[in-house]
Amino acid sequence: MIRFHHVNKHYGQFHVLKDINLEIQSGEVVVIIGPSGSGKSTLLRCINRLETITDGELTVDGVSVGDRKTNINELRRDIGMVFQHFNLYPHMSVLKNITLAPIRVSKASPKEASETAMYYLQKVGIPDKADAYPSQLSGGQQQRVAIARGLAMKPKIMLFDEPTSALDPEMVGEVLDVMKSLAKEGMTMVVVTHEMGFAREVADRVIFMDHGQIVEEGDPATFFTQPKEERARQFLSRLNH
Amino acid sequence: MSDLLDISILIDYQDVYWKGFFITLKASVFALILSFILGVIIAVFRISTVKSLRWFGTAYVEYIRNIPLLILVFVFYNGLPSIGVNLDSFMAGGLGLGIYTSAFIAEAIRAGIQSVPKGHVEAARSSGLTYLQTMRFVVLPQAIKIVLPPLGNQFINLVKNSSIFGVIAGGDLMYQADIINSETFQTVSVYLFVALFYLLLTIPLSLFVNYLERRLARAY
Repeated sequence: MIRFHHVNKHYGQFHVLKDINLEIQSGEVVVIIGPSGSGKSTLLRCINRLETITDGELTVDGVSVGDRKTNINELRRDIGMVFQHFNLYPHMSVLKNITLAPIRVSKASPKEASETAMYYLQKVGIPDKADAYPSQLSGGQQQRVAIARGLAMKPKIMLFDEPTSALDPEMVGEVLDVMKSLAKEGMTMVVVTHEMGFAREVADRVIFMDHGQIVEEGDPATFFTQPKEERARQFLSRLNH
Repeated sequence: MSDLLDISILIDYQDVYWKGFFITLKASVFALILSFILGVIIAVFRISTVKSLRWFGTAYVEYIRNIPLLILVFVFYNGLPSIGVNLDSFMAGGLGLGIYTSAFIAEAIRAGIQSVPKGHVEAARSSGLTYLQTMRFVVLPQAIKIVLPPLGNQFINLVKNSSIFGVIAGGDLMYQADIINSETFQTVSVYLFVALFYLLLTIPLSLFVNYLERRLARAY
């Protein structure tokens, strides 16, 4: 589904991603962890070309992301994204936030788009907020709207960039619950997070990054109990205080 | 006092004043629409990722806003006939005024656009919206709220600057006032009365902008 083949990225002199090789299968839930500045968000943002790669090959569903001939807007329809800071459009109601892309990109009729939006709002547990504005919602509710917004395009892949990092602690659970049910339904998910509990419980595979490299990857049970690499061990031991 | 402010001027010449008033109104509306359209386009150029567009936008703004309005209007009115383009005074003045004001409007809009968080653009683009759709549905509706006060100022300036029509026989308020003055020599009265007609345009405009600002502030 997603394939990184010797991918490098530079910001000027700074080598952000170093020789990334990674394959993610359809239906897989991959959690990327690592210290801040390790390149995890950058790696995630390359998948829908919010960041461009310097060299190597990155394909999504067989389509080259970096290729100039690729219609990026078409590719992005199939890739939902949820951000740390929600990024809801503040001048639109919750419903309008969710229906914008289906109407404008997928050319759904407003009625059809509203029905789909209500279906996903139901799913994330806040159908009663359809007419509210983002500023009237709590952080947890806003992030659930953002997830519904991503799902409304019926994507093949969902990307999550630290979806709970900006939330008050008591709201983290409600967002993770939505993500868990999504994982159970077989959505292909790539999640950058600091929520180790989520990684342990939901991930099919954990990727540990440091200094722009994938240092270790494996199934969560093995990774969290017997990390092979020294840097991974250090990182995990610092979390467990 | 009655010598200084002769109300009979206003009564005797009311038709002339009104004639100028409507031409000023027409010229202002024309230049306002033109300057807004050009301003939006140049603002989008200014923040484009395409280097040549950005360069053009910057050159346009810096050139236009740093030369006198009178020069622009003279180029259109007196200069273009030499290359075979004859514009009447309305078109020459309207184009000059519209282009001049567009540089200021572009700057106001650019600032407003750049005040919209980058994350909103990323969210829109990552859902498959094109750059133009993102601008139209996500960025500009938010930017307008921030842009409105400086935009209102520019539009008020535009109405006042339309008095430039007076020097190219544009038939506007200023032009008519000059004619009345040359007939009556009641300079103070003539120009104080013409000021009233300008206020008739600018004060409602100012109130309207205030009203829009209040309405937008309540919107979300």
